[in-house]
Amino acid sequence: MSNKLPGIQHVIATSSGKGGVGKSTVSINLALGLVQKGFKVGLADVDIYGPSIPVLLGIEDEHPQVLEQTLIPIQKHDLKIMSMGFLVGQDTPAILRGPMITKFIHQFVTGVKWGELDYLILDLPPGTGDAQLSLAQNVPLTGALVVTTPQAISVKVALRGLRMFEKVKVPILGIVENMQGWATPESPSPFRGGQKLSETTGVPFLGSIPMDQTVAISGDEGQPLMAAYPDSEAAGAFRQIVSRLLDQINHTASPAGLGSFKWNLGSGEGAPPTREEANP
Amino acid sequence: MNSFSREQITPVGMKQAGQINGIVIQWQDGEDLEYDFRGLRLACACAACIDENTGEKLLVPSMVPVDVKALTIESVGTYAIRIIWSDGHSTGIYPFELLRHIGEARKQMLAAQ
Repeated sequence: MSNKLPGIQHVIATSSGKGGVGKSTVSINLALGLVQKGFKVGLADVDIYGPSIPVLLGIEDEHPQVLEQTLIPIQKHDLKIMSMGFLVGQDTPAILRGPMITKFIHQFVTGVKWGELDYLILDLPPGTGDAQLSLAQNVPLTGALVVTTPQAISVKVALRGLRMFEKVKVPILGIVENMQGWATPESPSPFRGGQKLSETTGVPFLGSIPMDQTVAISGDEGQPLMAAYPDSEAAGAFRQIVSRLLDQINHTASPAGLGSFKWNLGSGEGAPPTREEANP
Repeated sequence: MNSFSREQITPVGMKQAGQINGIVIQWQDGEDLEYDFRGLRLACACAACIDENTGEKLLVPSMVPVDVKALTIESVGTYAIRIIWSDGHSTGIYPFELLRHIGEARKQMLAAQ
């Protein structure tokens, strides 16, 4: 594990090409699914433009404390939560140029007292811009999840997100399809974009979340689905996706490589590993 | 650019070169490739050195000191390194795929001489 996030075993980014596909809802419920499996989990809402996790969890009025220049995450439902929303205010637009985005992201990497975590879920803003690139460059990601809706338009944009992670060598753990709807056992839904995306890219399909009223209601009530409606069909779908995600993480061998380093060639300080050291 | 296997673009080690003013990158497939600093500096693919739209080389080789060397090398995510040079240049990111390509090309060129 990189020295940039000591004490955190796995960092998983949830991304989508398009906005509005339910990325934050998916992030929250996957995080809670992991908590219910007994893991220590943190959730970082890095969606600087539209941080929605505080509202979805009913904690928009909370203010994280600052201790020795680090932010203390808010605790709710056994989750440790930090959001851009706490920092910029819910109704204040975060109007940020590229360099500021990079700075904000950096603060989320190094400036939050997460403590020991098994999983840290990063809820990314939609798209393939500065925020996503900064993360890939600064955070040692275990992998990324791609969230899409079943329709072709969302799949098309999700594919761009997927390609971006490929370029920066972040393993893609799987595709989650949200808002799967109009399905009955007799007539399955005609839209199956998530599966198609999986077939064209070879990325595992982790499952679909049905268009279930409980998902929307729980969001409006500020009570996450997994806590408020654990017996709903959608909550069951999330549990299944969590299990498949854990399988994927175990299969994704930790990438061999040099790890994170900053090597001063003059003094020799911080030198990366060598083959000779690895095989003495 | 040739396409490489995963082992060929995954570095497992890096150190100062013994004979030349440069570094050695050790790759997972067992290959160790040498890089001289000036060659690496000239291969910089950043927006100040290569025109983003036309791909035209903007860096003038004669402007790069013969004895240019890397002061600091740091990792960028898991896919690249960033080099801070003695001539003040620091914006170049070298993805491992590009480094493998540069290293192979240099080796072939030396073998042909």
